[in-house]
Amino acid sequence: MSARAAGLSWGDAWKLARRDLNARFKGLRLLVVCIFLGTAALAAIGTLTASIERELQSSGQQILGGDLEVEIWQRGLDEEELTAISALGTVSGGTRLQAMAISDAATGADGEGNAAPIELKAVDGKWPLYGVLTLADGREVAAPTGDNAWLSQGAIDRLDIEVGDRFRIGTVTLTAGGIIDDEPDRLSEGFALGPVIIVAEDLPVRAGLLAPGALYQSKYRIAFDDQGLDPSDQAAALEEAFPKAGFDFRTRDRASPGADRFVAQMSDFLTLVGLAALVIAGIGIAGGVSSYLDQRRASIATLKVLGASSRDIVRVYALQIAAAAVVGSLAGLATGVMVTPIFGAALDGLLPVQTGFVIEPAPLVLAGVYGLLVAFAFAAAPLLRARAFPAMALMRSRIAPLSRDRRALVATALGLALICLVALITTDRVELSASFLAGAGLALALLAALGLAIQRIARRLPRPTNPILRSALANIHRPGAPTGALVTALGFGLAAFVLLASVQTAIDGNIQSRVPQEAPDYFVIDVPREGENAFKGLVRQSFPDADIRTVPTLRGSVLAFGPKDNMQRVADLERIPEGGWFLNGERGLTYSDETPVGNTLIEGEWWEPGQTEEMLVSVNVDGARALGLEVGDYLTIGVLGSERDVRIANLRQIDWESLGFNFTLVFSPNTLNDVPHNLAASIELNESGNAAQIIERRGELLRAMVRRFPSSSVVDIGEVLVEARTLLEQVALATLAAAAVAVLAGLAVLMGAIAAARAARMYDTVVLRVLGASRRQVLMMQLAEYGLIALALALVALGMGAGLGWVIITQLFEFDWLPDWPRVLAVLGLGLAMVVAFALGGSLPLLRAKPAQALREL
Amino acid sequence: MVEPSSTSATAAAAPGASGPAISARSLTLTLGSAAAPVDILKGIDLDIAPGEVVALLGPSGSGKSSLMAVLSGLERASGGDLSVAGQNFADLDEDGLAQARRGRIGIVLQAFHLLPTMTATENVATPMELAGSEDASARARAELEAVGLGHRTDHYPTQLSGGEQQRVAIARAIAPRPDLIFADEPTGNLDVTTGEEIVDLLFARRAETGATLLIITHDRALAERCERVLTMADGKIVSDRAGENP
Repeated sequence: MSARAAGLSWGDAWKLARRDLNARFKGLRLLVVCIFLGTAALAAIGTLTASIERELQSSGQQILGGDLEVEIWQRGLDEEELTAISALGTVSGGTRLQAMAISDAATGADGEGNAAPIELKAVDGKWPLYGVLTLADGREVAAPTGDNAWLSQGAIDRLDIEVGDRFRIGTVTLTAGGIIDDEPDRLSEGFALGPVIIVAEDLPVRAGLLAPGALYQSKYRIAFDDQGLDPSDQAAALEEAFPKAGFDFRTRDRASPGADRFVAQMSDFLTLVGLAALVIAGIGIAGGVSSYLDQRRASIATLKVLGASSRDIVRVYALQIAAAAVVGSLAGLATGVMVTPIFGAALDGLLPVQTGFVIEPAPLVLAGVYGLLVAFAFAAAPLLRARAFPAMALMRSRIAPLSRDRRALVATALGLALICLVALITTDRVELSASFLAGAGLALALLAALGLAIQRIARRLPRPTNPILRSALANIHRPGAPTGALVTALGFGLAAFVLLASVQTAIDGNIQSRVPQEAPDYFVIDVPREGENAFKGLVRQSFPDADIRTVPTLRGSVLAFGPKDNMQRVADLERIPEGGWFLNGERGLTYSDETPVGNTLIEGEWWEPGQTEEMLVSVNVDGARALGLEVGDYLTIGVLGSERDVRIANLRQIDWESLGFNFTLVFSPNTLNDVPHNLAASIELNESGNAAQIIERRGELLRAMVRRFPSSSVVDIGEVLVEARTLLEQVALATLAAAAVAVLAGLAVLMGAIAAARAARMYDTVVLRVLGASRRQVLMMQLAEYGLIALALALVALGMGAGLGWVIITQLFEFDWLPDWPRVLAVLGLGLAMVVAFALGGSLPLLRAKPAQALREL
Repeated sequence: MVEPSSTSATAAAAPGASGPAISARSLTLTLGSAAAPVDILKGIDLDIAPGEVVALLGPSGSGKSSLMAVLSGLERASGGDLSVAGQNFADLDEDGLAQARRGRIGIVLQAFHLLPTMTATENVATPMELAGSEDASARARAELEAVGLGHRTDHYPTQLSGGEQQRVAIARAIAPRPDLIFADEPTGNLDVTTGEEIVDLLFARRAETGATLLIITHDRALAERCERVLTMADGKIVSDRAGENP
């Protein structure tokens, strides 16, 4: 067999391909744009995530404020413990607790200043061990000394003071020495119920805030003398040396587990949305490649007449498509890298991000792989179709489309399967990713079916007498109309818009309307036991109808669990079982003579009030089941350095939606009432009167509580809800931006469809113009057609997006269905306006066509 | 099939007409770019009376189709004066020309140019609908009946033969009862027998309406059936004589 008989080599195929390929990829630009959009989005998401993760890892020491941190509740380290950690290196200690600050400036009718709940951070002279605290005026400072304090901007605003002004915490008057600009270990401090104020280490004691029973946390950061030491190993050694101490550890490698988790989850989610957008762009790729090969029909036919085989044809045009895909991918990767600093700047202050351009090979390679896989999956079908037919059939396909080739569908399915496989092997959350991919696949299939249905309905509608409307409607269902592809591609992005907007606004609506009705107005921490009656009296002085509930609160941890003769030590567990979260670290503990409000006994009995025979505990039934615990089993708890074995008396179901005090573990009073502790209180003011009076009275009550109970700390639920809503808004914005990529991909599909149909549209437009239609009427025809498509898209997006949103809100979250419809419709309207604007813009050449000139060219 | 009532091209003038149907003076048309202009029409002077049947002969590239395009309002002349059915075409823009065509000018093209998404009835009705006629559908069906396609009114162009498509195109041109009909090589895409039938039909329908008819053709025999034969060469009218077999 001769070399020619064996077919074109890849090298010869590339020669032919290059000759035929336009230098600016004319005809394949839609493919280039679609790949570009998808890979740019994935590259940006991957690069940004890797950049944040790298910064979290490399800046671990600074974020943590040490190589290892030891945390303990309600006490400091004793001498032996301190000696043990000091052997590892330099130690910086301090405390964290909720407190109240009150400004000296008189603002209220009672002559007192503004009061605000704060996170009090007391640090010693060695703080910070790593990094530098920078103030807003540019000064780099160390720990404050004496009665000086560094305040966050939030604290300054809440107290309504300036640098140099005085304010009180507990019994001590302090001076605002400066406003914090960059706190090096802020991220590791985690979520706080108030703005931070940094003070000298001894301030909490001097201010009377650390009485026995107070809820405070002691933190000791260690900078290792030997940087070669593994922090995890040292933590394990300390745990072994002090098994009952109740230590919690954090290492420099995981300085902020919360931030790590958040970044990883957001990255997974955004990557999946970006991948969905790329798959949508694949629809455009399929259309673009079909169109391109259609235009090349004469060339393909000529090559076949000259002796090229079908395999040769596939090689030549596959190389052209691959070249375009590579160009699109590389441009997308470069763009993804270039825009990452912009997103990094937007996250400044929220998450640590490497500054400048970052080249992270792994996410870039992954984004490129996805781009090429999508190109292969969606270009394979039209390529294989073109391969299968002889030259004369290609000539005739102007009227009859090339018929389907099953191998083409197999190639597309294989490509999509590979994409899913890559997505699943590159994620830590396989189940979640698989669910998303399955859901997205179902959504796309449903949309494709809806697109077909819309075409059928359009075909069956009565034909309008107006020729402009008649043409517009016919364009929706004529053979080869891209209606199905448009509904799928644009419908997905628009439905995502509606879904995200309806879920976010519904959650917000619940926070706004339901939570304030059901949640108390205030939580108060560290109410002295002996001051309970005085506390209640103080509240009712300002708000006689207030409902006040108090519960004892302590901190402790579960050290062991199980049947008495076969208990499992928590420290020996390799992994905390799913649902056994309350085994992690120290928890809030309480005791009660009665079944708590909002709780239902499932198994066992509640103890008699005042019983002292046994130490008993009631456990949340979900947690108990997760650990295989039954009534009669035991827990060993550690509280303030002492261990206590407690028998499980009953299991109960907690109604978490009651928004009151809910504890997983509730003990009989004899178990814990000898341990120093304070009370926590919830207050529902049940206020009446005009708004201004209520605000004034609330301010007076806050200041009175601070004066009378300086060690107590008040959490205003209204403020917390505002913070929660702000955070929700930010997350919604990020996910909406990701969904916008899907809409952009849909718009690329739309432009491709318009380009592909241009010849047919031009023909119709010219004939109508010959018959006397004006340009305005031609424009109305375009408007009518795309208006009808937009209407169909609106119904599809609302139906799917709002429907899924309803399921998520009412069935998953069990909230009320309270979307902000004007906002949801505005978001949808914006998307639809973009669709119509792009469509009309793409149709402008039709208006400029001159009949005589066009007739010459037709 | 409907037999033509007359094979003669002689017809009464269009009712109500006064003055020439077409009057052109020094008509020019230049196409192409400023760097490389091409003079297509080089000073055409022409008067066509209402109801006249005129043939336009000439070799390829002589400017026949371009002259027809200018006279029918599909193209704006580059220079000169042009009055068609009493309207000064030189003053009109693209939309003005489109409006001028509505109901007054019927055009039959070589490649039929029917709208593929519309039935035969809808294709014929379209110009009347654009002109605002309320009984466009009924008139369309009547015209299709008159051209022998009463049994194909709901068929799409892809379901019709070439001859049938051209009949629909003729019906579309005539149904609005225009003052003028332009036909550019109406038999160019048809076989000889079908072409003859189409020409007979065109002449017959024109005769019943009395419209002015201008036909571009290569067919000398067809040209001689017209009252008047204009010959073009190189963008000019080089001959204007009576037809030998009108």
